[in-house]
Amino acid sequence: MSGLGDVAIVGLGVTTQGVRMGVPERLLRLQALEAARADCGLKRSDVDGYIACHGSIVFEDLRFLGLGPNFAWSLASGGATAISALIAARGVIATGQAECVALNYGFAPSLMRGGVGGYSYGYPQLFGLFGPAASHALHATRHMALYGTTSEQLGSVAVQQRAYARVRPGTLGFDKPLTLADHQQSRMIAEPLRLLDCCRDTDGGVCVLVTSLERAQDLRRAPVQVLGLGTGHNVRNWYDRTVFDKHDDIGPAAERAFGEAGIGLDDVDVAQLYDPFTISVVMQLEHYGFCEPGQGGPFVASGATGPGGAIPTNTGGGQLSAWYATGFTPLAEAVWQLRGEGGATQVANAEIALVSGHGGNGGVQNTWAHATALLGRAR
Amino acid sequence: MSQRPLDYAPDALDQPFWEGCERGEFLLQRCPRSGRWHWPAVADPETGSGLEWVPASGRGTIHTFTIIHKVFREEYAERVPYNVIVVELEEGPLFHSNLVDCANGDIRVGMPVELVFENTEGGFVLPLFRPRRGG
Repeated sequence: MSGLGDVAIVGLGVTTQGVRMGVPERLLRLQALEAARADCGLKRSDVDGYIACHGSIVFEDLRFLGLGPNFAWSLASGGATAISALIAARGVIATGQAECVALNYGFAPSLMRGGVGGYSYGYPQLFGLFGPAASHALHATRHMALYGTTSEQLGSVAVQQRAYARVRPGTLGFDKPLTLADHQQSRMIAEPLRLLDCCRDTDGGVCVLVTSLERAQDLRRAPVQVLGLGTGHNVRNWYDRTVFDKHDDIGPAAERAFGEAGIGLDDVDVAQLYDPFTISVVMQLEHYGFCEPGQGGPFVASGATGPGGAIPTNTGGGQLSAWYATGFTPLAEAVWQLRGEGGATQVANAEIALVSGHGGNGGVQNTWAHATALLGRAR
Repeated sequence: MSQRPLDYAPDALDQPFWEGCERGEFLLQRCPRSGRWHWPAVADPETGSGLEWVPASGRGTIHTFTIIHKVFREEYAERVPYNVIVVELEEGPLFHSNLVDCANGDIRVGMPVELVFENTEGGFVLPLFRPRRGG
């Protein structure tokens, strides 16, 4: 039996993901939409709600895609966009505004001049602070000073995620081994972050189709149920000056999501954490509670996030070694894991996945939003 | 005089801060009701008021920092590697800046620092910091 607000991900479309593909963004979105429809068997006319994720222009999108939904909204919250769109989709389905909502993303930063690495922040740009690597480095420096975290421990995040990616076709890291020595020899970007602490911008599209759990029963694929969702906002941590200690406003997001799902951390089989930089994984593992505060570095270095570890994390290689899709990378991998489609890195009997996203770099306080999703294999 | 890309344009609400720098004053916002100090311009999260600019000590400690090696902007090609620090001011707020009179390799979290103004060719007088003298 399903209740109000019980929704599921029923279709997933992921285009080719790569660097300098030269594919226009709206075509990526069309490819993703058609792949997601083919995945679950929904008709074009079934898609009656549309959320254009991360800055795509709704009006042009709809005409080009040939869709005629009840509504179409733009939603942009950086790396928290995918889960934020899931929250919106559940709301409109629960209130009867739509029955099937497409969360559609297609982005080609390699077509942008300069990419996204060098964008500027308010007043800190006067002092030369540009781009997310430098602002995340501020978290890493403080973490090292407070807890003794080392560059090698950050490197162990990159190495572990490459170990996953190298056996997953379609990732940038496929068949490309990476050692800790490679990490240590990679050039410095913004100390203490080296090149291999940073993910790359990639081009690609992802579409997620969401409908009620009830409707999901008739479709082609086993539904992936949305168990709990939550958000938190980092600006609060700027006010009380804990922003660099917390990385993100994870506490409130996690509390709401786990509370709604009625489960605990021990129930989570696999974690897909938004990982623009290695430090992000280390600090999220701590703040979600998978390890003690300050112990994220030794935790990853011990193999706890690898196959058979305490919490297999970013099992598709993550953004660091697979591809970057503004929050859709961890969401897509969670769906694959819960469907048993994780290929060579499938976690046996994965029933519950934790997914996170953070972003919308806001200047002084680094990232804005944090979003948490708990997804489960529907039974 | 330093050359920097100065495409930052403060609006009327931020302008008093930069005018203060030109006079050699380091101003922060203080809420007249709660007494809490803020930077940058903000309504006090508890009282909703703010926008009173008050001279601050210019003293603090380094909360965190990074040394930037990659040239994100061509104008910085000659400056890399350079530091960006976040100062935890004595009054409470965090403030992004640069540390001068100190080798990048000697910067540490917790280091006491003090304000020093620098003129730039772009017209801004920038509040920078140096290791605090005399403790």
